Amino acid sequence: MKGIARRLAGHLARGLVMIWVVLTFTFVIVSIMPGDPVQAEYELLLQQGHSPQQAEAQTAMLHRFRPTGSVLEQYLEYMGSLLRLDLGQSVVTRVDVSTILGEATRWTVIPVLIGTVLSFVLGVLIGVYAAIKRSGKLGDALTLSGSLLRGLPDFVVALILAAIFATLWPVLPRSGAVNILYEPGFNLDYILSLGQHAILPIATYAISSYGGWILAMKSSVVTVLGDDFILAAELRGMKRSVIFRYIARNAILPLFTIFALSIAALFSGAIFVERIFNYPGLGMLLINSIGRRDITVMTGAFLLITAAVIVANIVADMFYTVIDPRVRRAGDAA
Amino acid sequence: MSDVAAMTGATVTRATLRRNFWGSVWRVLLRKPSRLLGVVLMLGFAFMGSIGPMLYDRPLPRDPSVQFASPSLRHPFGTDFQGTDVFSLLVIGSRYVLLTALITAVVSVLLGTAVGLVAGFRRGALDAVLMRITDVNLTIPGLPLLLVLSTVWEFSGAWEMGLVLGLLGWGGLARAVRSQTLSLRERGFVEAARGLGLPNRHIVGRELLPPIAPYIAMNALMSLIVAVYAQVGLFFLGVMPVIGENWGVMLNRAVFDFGAMTTPARLPYMLAPLLAILLLTIAIVLVVDAMDEVFNPRLRVE
Repeated sequence: MKGIARRLAGHLARGLVMIWVVLTFTFVIVSIMPGDPVQAEYELLLQQGHSPQQAEAQTAMLHRFRPTGSVLEQYLEYMGSLLRLDLGQSVVTRVDVSTILGEATRWTVIPVLIGTVLSFVLGVLIGVYAAIKRSGKLGDALTLSGSLLRGLPDFVVALILAAIFATLWPVLPRSGAVNILYEPGFNLDYILSLGQHAILPIATYAISSYGGWILAMKSSVVTVLGDDFILAAELRGMKRSVIFRYIARNAILPLFTIFALSIAALFSGAIFVERIFNYPGLGMLLINSIGRRDITVMTGAFLLITAAVIVANIVADMFYTVIDPRVRRAGDAA
Repeated sequence: MSDVAAMTGATVTRATLRRNFWGSVWRVLLRKPSRLLGVVLMLGFAFMGSIGPMLYDRPLPRDPSVQFASPSLRHPFGTDFQGTDVFSLLVIGSRYVLLTALITAVVSVLLGTAVGLVAGFRRGALDAVLMRITDVNLTIPGLPLLLVLSTVWEFSGAWEMGLVLGLLGWGGLARAVRSQTLSLRERGFVEAARGLGLPNRHIVGRELLPPIAPYIAMNALMSLIVAVYAQVGLFFLGVMPVIGENWGVMLNRAVFDFGAMTTPARLPYMLAPLLAILLLTIAIVLVVDAMDEVFNPRLRVE
């Protein structure tokens, strides 16, 4: 257990360093942004007749950026406000950034999760099949489909799906998260509309990540197939179903590390998917805020996406440590 | 006298080796004709990017009377909003796309190989530092970073774009090269080289690098694909200025400005760059598949 705790501590420390790197990066970006939006706001308030102190306090409250003072002071203040999880208000709408982010997050997290689970189950099953039949025609074709799909970026998949199911054969809605005609709430029309709008984004997530699962599962199964314990099980005359369970249990382990990478990739992919389907998630928020130069929302969305990816990585690694006794013991010994 | 004999012997073996290598390449290609297709497609794209744009007079002819024409013999992918032939736009745009991808691949492969080799060979504190940097490079999602970066720097030129994408994309290769270096450096032939007192530069360049080189080459090809997606994606999202000639700008205009998704008649305009990206992906995947088998004889099913 001590090994696990130490490992977790190490990961957390590294995660914090990464988040610090990202924070510093955003600070630098905002400070060198052309037409300094913070300064502009400050000067506007001065012109409107506010006193310098008032204007400064007002600007800092909005943006978490002090318009005056040395770079170091500004940097420390920015870091301090973010440590208090205070992200400021939107420059455009004056709504709290945390509220905006909370609203957008569900529209990204739920479809991404459903899509990931779908593609995981499909990819693992097909991957096992492709590994067992790897010298056959079908196994070969499945593997090739895997390497092609893994290569395909989300936006290509999304555009092709949209072209087929929303333009050429218009059975699914192409834009938005729900039909605005329906009243939000727990009624059938609304829920059906939600589901309909979610099909294409979820299908995009599932299709664009499933190729990776097939390939990973296949190569993992092929490795396990050559292990001595499988041969021993066969020699002891064990049932095929039991042997299959041995294979599956051992082969699926390495896939958990890919899980984190997959979620990370999907969070980036969500930017394209949400832009194409006009879906109001985090990616859309990031794009829109960049377009409007709404720096507080932009930095907030960027920080949230990166933090989510960093945390996903840590969780996946810890999960892997907990379920695989070999890694655990190696950690204890070290 | 014996020296000369040894030298000629060596040249003969080297020449034979080379012939055997190309022979095996040819055999691997012939075993699955799809791989031959991959090579042909790759050559086609190389031609398209290098010579292709010179075949057209600029500015491209416009014909306002045939806006969004459907595909025909004269216009294989129809025409765009100004009545310009979409196929010629595709060919002209390929130069930027392929050049950027090439620069990205070169930058990320050089960085990744260097970091991986140094970290794996030197180990110790330098290794720890380099691997932490690699972790950061791998973990922080590239696309959001590029989007935020685009607010302060318009890296839309081919060289800037390639450099930025390359700087973001070397982590995976560095980690893989390091782990292979770690296992290779314990082998007998490296120990022998060290025992002979050969300089580190020789050990890294002549002993460690060659066995990893095939892997690096395949990685370079795959990073071409990633680079194409990233740059086309950036232009497609519209955070880069929607000017210039490349596939991403075409996609952006088709989807967001000219309703390719709402009007079936305008679909070919959008599908043309998508098809080009698909074909390029297929070509690279097939070539990598063939390379894998050339360099890993164990994969061969004779």
